[in-house]
Amino acid sequence: MKPWLKYLLAVMVLATTIPSRAQSDRVFVPAGSFHSVLPEIKGEPNKVDAFYLDVTAVTNEEFVDFVTENKEWRRSEVPSIFANDSYLDHWKSDLDPGIEETGAQRPVTRISWYSANAYCSAAGGRLPTLNEWEYSAQLLKFESPEEMNEFSKELIGWYSRVNANFIGAVGSTDIETAYGVKDQFGLVMEWVENFKPIIANDLSLDCGTVGRLQKLGNIYSYAASIRFITRMSFSPESTTGMLGFRCAYDVETKDTTKNSL
Amino acid sequence: MKRLSLIAIFVLSSFTLHAQHNHGADATLKAGEISGHSLYHLDADFTDQRNKSLKLSSFKGQPVIVVMFYGNCTQVCPILIRDTWRLYNAVDEILRPSVKVLAVSFDTENDTPEVLKAYAEYEQLNIDGWHFATSEPTNVRSLAMMLGVQYAKKSDGEFAHSNLVSVLDTEGKIAKRIEGLNQPMEEAAHHIEQMLTKNVEQ
Repeated sequence: MKPWLKYLLAVMVLATTIPSRAQSDRVFVPAGSFHSVLPEIKGEPNKVDAFYLDVTAVTNEEFVDFVTENKEWRRSEVPSIFANDSYLDHWKSDLDPGIEETGAQRPVTRISWYSANAYCSAAGGRLPTLNEWEYSAQLLKFESPEEMNEFSKELIGWYSRVNANFIGAVGSTDIETAYGVKDQFGLVMEWVENFKPIIANDLSLDCGTVGRLQKLGNIYSYAASIRFITRMSFSPESTTGMLGFRCAYDVETKDTTKNSL
Repeated sequence: MKRLSLIAIFVLSSFTLHAQHNHGADATLKAGEISGHSLYHLDADFTDQRNKSLKLSSFKGQPVIVVMFYGNCTQVCPILIRDTWRLYNAVDEILRPSVKVLAVSFDTENDTPEVLKAYAEYEQLNIDGWHFATSEPTNVRSLAMMLGVQYAKKSDGEFAHSNLVSVLDTEGKIAKRIEGLNQPMEEAAHHIEQMLTKNVEQ
């Protein structure tokens, strides 16, 4: 095959697999550290390198673009090893999410870890790691201790009353980190790359689990504990109505893209 | 604490409601079709220590032993690789040359095909049928998810990981999982022999 033809084909393949999410939909999250309920070294914060993260969760509209281009991820095509039966079963058909009923710009849910991972790969990124996601989630800014307490109370309430049949639009929670990442609380739970941390094998899913997880002693600790034990109950093929995702990107990837423009 | 457990139960139950598998789908497979539970659906390219490209489906029609490890691991992984060898070696001598082994590294940054070749040679396992392989990070993570292997890179560069040796059947489905180090291998070896004997008969 002629080199230019190879190049053209490569460009065509790339063009058909990358969904419509634009670079401006992601923000830079600088390196830092955070106190995790699962510290690597007891009492020490976990360190996180800089990365880019999507501002909001991936929407039904964006996921339609993805399955349109990537037939193997359509509801009727996906093999059972990659997704449970309820994969996208709230959609009207393979390529119709039924926006008129759910509303526009809702986060896509009932997607498995495999499909979320494939989406992010096609978008030139990856799923955020557990530590990246949790680190970003702790970068909220509060004006006063009162505001912090109020948020803490609301957060506890949210985890106990999520209604998978009525999910708001992305960006609608007004919860935003100092770097512009929106809705990490208050909309849906989200897949992360390593959602079952290595310790999961040694822990049982009961009330004592949370007790054994290190208490952070801050407003995030209770909600973080709930997220950790909830994630442990997932399988990578799980597809539930309150589980969506967003993508992360390596810093080098973004720079490379920038240079080529 | 009571409220905590109640909420936890609520969250867990709402999440597990939909986690049911459709095991009936395989019954209606046509010739040439891949089973819905086959790992061959992972259409990822791996590169082995001989710089040869391969996919999981390259092993179609043959049982394959799969293990995940990393080259810089000096404590647990040599035992894990030795366990893999023990399983391989427990297969009847006549059938053994037909057994394939795929050892995939978590350490996509350091374990290049060259490094994997040196590793295979050091372990005296740079032999026919043994593939020490690497791939894109998302493919390695996907394979781990399919096998049920957990791993995480620690800040000191080491990986925390589960110790698991798996056997895929001739259609790429998980036939045996041997969890933990230094486990008995006879049963899994016998299973591999049965699959290979069946292949010969057909």
